[in-house]
Amino acid sequence: MARKVTSSSIVGPVVATAVVTLLVGLTTDRFFMVENLRNLALQVSIVSLVGIGSTLVIISGGIDLSPGSAIALLTMILASFLKFLHIPLGLAVLATVLIGAGLGLWNGVLTSYLRIPAFITTVASLSIFRGFAFMFNLGSPIFSISDSLTQVFYNTIGGIPYVLFYVLAFFAVAAFVMNYTELGRRMYAVGGNANAARYSGINVKRVVMLSFVLAGVMAGFGSILMAARLNSGSPNYGVGMELSAIAAAVIGGASLQGGKGNVVSTLFGALTITIVQNGLNLHAVETSVQGVVIGLIIMLAVFIDMWRVEMWSGVSRWAGRLFGRGRPQEGRG
Amino acid sequence: MQPLWELAAVTKTFPGVKAMDAVDLAIYPGEVHGLVGENGSGKSTLVKCLSGVHQPTSGRMYLRGRPTVIHDPFVARYLGIATIFQELSLVPNMTVAENIFLGRLLRRKDLGIVVDWAGIWDRSRELLEKLGIHLDPGSLVSELSVSQQQTVEIAKALSLDASLLIMDEPTASLGLDEVARLQEIVRNLARQGCAVIYISHRLDEVMGLVDVVTVMKDGRIVANEKATDIDLNRVVSLMIGGDLRTHYPKERNMTPEVLLLAEGIRTDRGVRGASFTLHRGEVLGLAGLIGTGRTSIAKALFGIEQLTAGQIRRASSAPVARQLRLGSPGAAIASGVALLTEDRKATGLFMNFTGVHNVSIARLSRIARHGILRLRSEQSSAQEHFEALRITPTAGERSVQFLSGGNQQKVIIARWIFSQADVFILDEPTQGIDVGAKVEVYNLINRLTREGKGVILISSDLEELLAISDTICVVRDGRIVETRAADQTDRTYLAERVFVRQAV
Repeated sequence: MARKVTSSSIVGPVVATAVVTLLVGLTTDRFFMVENLRNLALQVSIVSLVGIGSTLVIISGGIDLSPGSAIALLTMILASFLKFLHIPLGLAVLATVLIGAGLGLWNGVLTSYLRIPAFITTVASLSIFRGFAFMFNLGSPIFSISDSLTQVFYNTIGGIPYVLFYVLAFFAVAAFVMNYTELGRRMYAVGGNANAARYSGINVKRVVMLSFVLAGVMAGFGSILMAARLNSGSPNYGVGMELSAIAAAVIGGASLQGGKGNVVSTLFGALTITIVQNGLNLHAVETSVQGVVIGLIIMLAVFIDMWRVEMWSGVSRWAGRLFGRGRPQEGRG
Repeated sequence: MQPLWELAAVTKTFPGVKAMDAVDLAIYPGEVHGLVGENGSGKSTLVKCLSGVHQPTSGRMYLRGRPTVIHDPFVARYLGIATIFQELSLVPNMTVAENIFLGRLLRRKDLGIVVDWAGIWDRSRELLEKLGIHLDPGSLVSELSVSQQQTVEIAKALSLDASLLIMDEPTASLGLDEVARLQEIVRNLARQGCAVIYISHRLDEVMGLVDVVTVMKDGRIVANEKATDIDLNRVVSLMIGGDLRTHYPKERNMTPEVLLLAEGIRTDRGVRGASFTLHRGEVLGLAGLIGTGRTSIAKALFGIEQLTAGQIRRASSAPVARQLRLGSPGAAIASGVALLTEDRKATGLFMNFTGVHNVSIARLSRIARHGILRLRSEQSSAQEHFEALRITPTAGERSVQFLSGGNQQKVIIARWIFSQADVFILDEPTQGIDVGAKVEVYNLINRLTREGKGVILISSDLEELLAISDTICVVRDGRIVETRAADQTDRTYLAERVFVRQAV
């Protein structure tokens, strides 16, 4: 069924993914090697899960700059649970996700009920969460936390790592929530026009708060993958993750003005940004330059978001002139 | 005497609406020119053409006999036109002097880039004295009263040696003594040779102040006379027009069965005691100027503004007053109240949604089971509404931002029909839509009343209000001061009650 408006087109992000894949694939011979592709899948998994959270927050009209720090804090909590408190794995994972939800609740309550702008709230949280992360284990990473946790991450079915299935499952659930539930529809409504949402009987504050809680949950799941990947917790994990997640959402077509975006496209946004990073690594580009490149990509994505309408009308005017036809007029009746 | 400004056959059209139709007007220096007319009569468009906000579609404008094009607001300022809009444009945390010279602070002659504060203060003091405004240039704007702020705005406008000052509803938020003080300043200006265009809905004020009155109706000038040659009653009858120009389809469907009862409701913002009864099939019209509490009554009924006294009851059922008072729009919607707001872009439409999603949003539970939406039934039920309300089928798949004003309005009405409301509050439902679409809205109102629903209609168009309503309540200063059956009153009487502010 056609859903043309609430979900922006998926074509752009898919094309972006294809273009960077070609670019990196043609310029290096190692890109398509199985080992690299596996590595890529592992890398993209965490960013894309966090990116789901960022997308929900952005669609609801907010922004979340704290998930990178939340991940650091949550890996330290999970590691402490497993290594020092010897809590069973399942329980520890559940508790970590719940604490992630709690971190999101903190952001959400401050933003929607105490009306501190989301940007300020989550920048403060970015500092606070990482600060807390350093309070565990005297600020040192915690290693070899659980072998069964790493298996959950690295085991494969037919050569495909488990992680990929988790990611696909999460995207399926998120897409379902956004397209087929009242909550998802309300998030689009609140992000699109918060005043109109209020006049339509929507509890705007609660919806905004829930978007942050869900982002916290996604940071929770992201932190579990992060801890599993290196079998450790570290207060230095997730630095810059918030930017990659936001970039994934924006490249995926989520509008920073709120109300527009599409969770599935975020997966391609995450792929795009991860492949670029991977390509830069394969070309042995210095980390400092990588930072610059990622920053420029985010700027480009936001630029496209801001000027999308103007660019389209420019293109269609040009096309109209080329084919001697006017552009389609708006429907009125 | 040569006119300062002259408009010749100036026309301005917007899609579907002719806002100004071949307007000829001459404005002379030293003259206070009153511009009156109902909302939508074209006054604001005229002002916006003069201040460079809009460009006329056709016609010419002459400055001292020379053809002149006002490309944008900067050109207007350069040509000596200063406009004071209803919303003040002062920076509250700056001083009077800083505000007057905002954006063009004087520099010291000796030290090029250093601001010449002494010069700014001297010039400000001079300017204020010349205008007869008794204010200290050093006081903070945020500490001034609204009327004082207004005088600062005038000083700011005139600091550029304006030859024409346009004031759009300058007294809307002022008390009577403040109005008198403002008018003294205006007269003073005119004596010094400045032309003034003064727009106000308070006709008694206008007539007492101006030298010339221009009455606009439907984008045309219907009278342009010396104030001494025309009396208030004549102006009122010209404003509302002599003959019915639109066909108003009206069905009388009112029943004696009470639907909603408001008893002495008050809010912190604007409602100071309103009582009325809405019956099944009734259209209850609220007449009153903007800012007199019409919209606040609507917001109180819809749970946006909280009641501080009084109650709202749904007849023959338990009082819902508490529910609405504590409540929220959500509670109001659940109890069957719908509000079509006057600003459909700001508080009505979701531009990121198709028409379908705009229709279902206020009552998703109707198409959901356990929180999961049934998109197919959403689609089909919205399509039914589109057909019933004759909304363009493109509303089904395109963003509502691409629809005409009339279709947008009908999409929101469809939203409230979908929500199964039985009390419809329509705040200026025909504002900014073309005549054909207006008639469709009237037909929709008939449809609602035929189905036994109640409509509370708020409109600045008295003709429309009288023709469509069964009962009219006159709202003034947050109170309902008079309630009459619509067929027992006429436009002249109503216009006097609404437009003429009686000094009580």
